[in-house]
Amino acid sequence: MTKPPGINIALCEFRPDDAWQHVVIAAPEKCRSCREKNCLRVCPSAVFQWDNIPDHPVLVRYRQCVECGACRLACPAGAVEFAYPRGGYGVVYHHG
Amino acid sequence: MISDWFKTKKPRKLPRSPASGPAPAAAPEKFDAIVVGAGPAGSTAAYFMARDGLDVLLLERGPFPGAKNCGGAAVIAEQIHDLFPNFWEEFPYERIVTSLEYWWLNEDSAVTAGFTSGRLAAAPYNRLTVKRKNFYAWLAAKAVAAGAALRLGHRVASVILDDGRTVGVRLAPPQSAAVLADIVVLADGANSLLAEQAGLIPRLSPLNLSLYAKETIALAPETIEERFNLPPGQGAIISLIGHPTAGYNGTASIHTFRDSVNINAGIAVNSFAAGGFGPGDLLARIKKHPRIAPLLAGGVTLEYGAAMIPEGGYHAIPPLVHPGLLIAGDAGSLVNGTHGINLAMWSGRFAAKAAYAAKTSRDFSAAKLSLYRTLLDESFVLQNMRANAKAAALQRDAPYLFDLYSRMLNEAAYLSVRAYPMPIKAKRRFVWRKVTSLQPVGKILADAWRVLKVVKG
Repeated sequence: MTKPPGINIALCEFRPDDAWQHVVIAAPEKCRSCREKNCLRVCPSAVFQWDNIPDHPVLVRYRQCVECGACRLACPAGAVEFAYPRGGYGVVYHHG
Repeated sequence: MISDWFKTKKPRKLPRSPASGPAPAAAPEKFDAIVVGAGPAGSTAAYFMARDGLDVLLLERGPFPGAKNCGGAAVIAEQIHDLFPNFWEEFPYERIVTSLEYWWLNEDSAVTAGFTSGRLAAAPYNRLTVKRKNFYAWLAAKAVAAGAALRLGHRVASVILDDGRTVGVRLAPPQSAAVLADIVVLADGANSLLAEQAGLIPRLSPLNLSLYAKETIALAPETIEERFNLPPGQGAIISLIGHPTAGYNGTASIHTFRDSVNINAGIAVNSFAAGGFGPGDLLARIKKHPRIAPLLAGGVTLEYGAAMIPEGGYHAIPPLVHPGLLIAGDAGSLVNGTHGINLAMWSGRFAAKAAYAAKTSRDFSAAKLSLYRTLLDESFVLQNMRANAKAAALQRDAPYLFDLYSRMLNEAAYLSVRAYPMPIKAKRRFVWRKVTSLQPVGKILADAWRVLKVVKG
């Protein structure tokens, strides 16, 4: 579970919502047979993490999500359920 | 005595007993119009509707406008000048763009073309680089000053449909309330979940949406001006083509801000999936490039981010007009190439016009609101998008286009620049053979023909 290069989420301001997870894998059983696992690489903030052990689930670290929504589109099985976090929570950009 | 007479003349307010009438909390609030998203499209729509006397509610899920979007941006000043005259006097733009460059990159080299002129520095300016936070804040403040009610930290969970007509929106927790309106303008950005969930637009395709990553790197203003060869206060935009997008069609760019530099890079979501890498890798490639690294040397990275941009072009535009609902800006895929802010603002302006016309005739049907689509069709927004309509298909059909031709350009330039101990005629033959070994002449001509057809429209 190494951090992919170029991902600097330490520099983002996050206001994480501990009460509600906005990105979920709604159908984890689909991930078991998924060979692509696009989510692991497409995500610009490494929200999805997996330890390469076949039966292990893909972890969703939603607190570091930058809310681009690409995971939902990239998932070949349609297993990712994406919504925006509650009002006022989530990533906050300051520098354009 | 006269004071008694005066008292009887004074209108008396009757105290309303709490028992009579419905409790104010139970009845949902009602507005003339609700705008979802305080971005360029939403705030412009809210401003013009409020200015025309409509009762407007502007909802934004972030803690301030611009908190949820990122990426180096430049606005085309004259188009916004038509909406907000002399707008550049009102908010802190970053730099006046006087230098536009294109760099075709190889792993270690660059062929560049550009234009620089002080003529571009006079008002009305050509392009201005802006920080989204400042620009969106100014625009939202305009809407508020015109009378719109801006509520921050309010996420819309869904639109409320009544027999196919949109009658309001439902707010997500913690507000969890319904708010009603005659008309809803959806300006919720590239990844418009609301329209999709309501079944108003088809599911977004990873082919049509590009994912961009950005990094903002702080540098002293003097350093930026020195490295980019700029007079004080003026800025440059450099488009990077080829190597930065790792073999896929896509774009990367450098925008100069006042005291920072923004680098963006992105390709279609499905290209990332096919390529097996992520947007961070593209940024890493750019920052390592020997022509770009010196521009950024010594800079401190302030912020990283990523966002999606609809790049499906004209043919990816979903139905924008629905009974009681209009879709504006990125939510309606109104992005031409990588230009979005100006199109978004004008689409917001046209949505406001259509909403006003609907309000005055009390007719919120799709037929009445189709004025919005007509205005878009007749304006630069859809005319320019129609002119580039075939570009998206070409980029899909020829995924090698940007990478291969940047590579050939660099190879040709390298071989031409190098001095060889051979007669000039032999050298020309040698360069020609080398370059056409990358792509046969027939295919080059075929690609040129395809590009020409796209440009012809």
